[in-house]
Amino acid sequence: MMSDSDAALVARTLDGELEAFSILMARYRDAFGRYAFHMLGNREDAQEAMQDSFVRAYRALGDCRQPDRFGAWLLRIVVNRCLTMRGRLKREQQFGADLPDQLPAGGEAPDSFEWRDEIARALGRLRPHYREAFLLRYVEGLEYAEMSRMTGAKEAALRMRVKRAGDQLRELLRDVHAG
Amino acid sequence: MPVERDDGIRDELLQRVVTELRRPVRLDPSVDARALREIRRLGAAGRPRPAQRPLWLAGAALAASLLLAVLLRSSGDIPVSRVASTIVAPDASTRPVRLRLASPASSRVAVVGDFNDWDPGATPLRPTEEQGVWTVELQLRPGRYHYTFLIDGRRWERDPSEPRANASDFGAPMSVLTVS
Repeated sequence: MMSDSDAALVARTLDGELEAFSILMARYRDAFGRYAFHMLGNREDAQEAMQDSFVRAYRALGDCRQPDRFGAWLLRIVVNRCLTMRGRLKREQQFGADLPDQLPAGGEAPDSFEWRDEIARALGRLRPHYREAFLLRYVEGLEYAEMSRMTGAKEAALRMRVKRAGDQLRELLRDVHAG
Repeated sequence: MPVERDDGIRDELLQRVVTELRRPVRLDPSVDARALREIRRLGAAGRPRPAQRPLWLAGAALAASLLLAVLLRSSGDIPVSRVASTIVAPDASTRPVRLRLASPASSRVAVVGDFNDWDPGATPLRPTEEQGVWTVELQLRPGRYHYTFLIDGRRWERDPSEPRANASDFGAPMSVLTVS
């Protein structure tokens, strides 16, 4: 069943088969969960963002005009959801610094943990639009044209945001990296 | 596109950051189950809506936005709500900052920077009574801001009245503004 195409699963979902939507959720949960995790800074909020995004995606599935590009369409929902949640969380709490999975094997130096922690903190200090642009470009590997369609921002603005995010991360992490 | 330069990551530090950020993140699979519960709870109201966007609604939205664009253009002023939403609303913590650029051959000038997320449409300058001089007033909190002017939507020009930013190797010369 997991080999079904996105388009086929979208069609089956629209025909009322909720199980097909479950397969889509399982397919994209972790892939886009990573983006949500880095945007929001902790796993709990990332999970809430993904859960919310799935419900919104299901309800709006009729508007998904290119079912074979369901992933890109869902990511747009996740990106918007994270930005909205980020605004709310900013007022409520500090950016967290949970660790991602695949932690170092036993032989890896303890300072790797500190390095990850520093990256999370530095990322959390970026303006949300900078963080968003940096993650979409370099972590998710999107082209600027796709980012522009996804965020509604012009490509020129996105390039500058990525550039400024890189500058600021470099500045924030220089000492840690050198040490 | 005004910026043509490839921005691939070349330095070791950012490569290490990206490698770290690309590590897989696994969420609790119960996320799916919770989403399904919510979908079921919504019942008929939660079912996928058929794609529908009545033509009259799209037409009305288009007409409204055109009307707004005409009104804004004819007023010659920067709409206050626009500036307030992209910079910040004036309050005790903000400082008024007036930017000014002499650019006689331009028909359009905007400023893009850290204070408006580099959005070319967010902060236009308006022509002053002085021939070829453009200006805008921002409300900024204390801090350092990189910024540049965008001329006619395609050419970058840094502010000659403020220091040049070091990190101007991106094809766009930038200035640094310090608000104290």
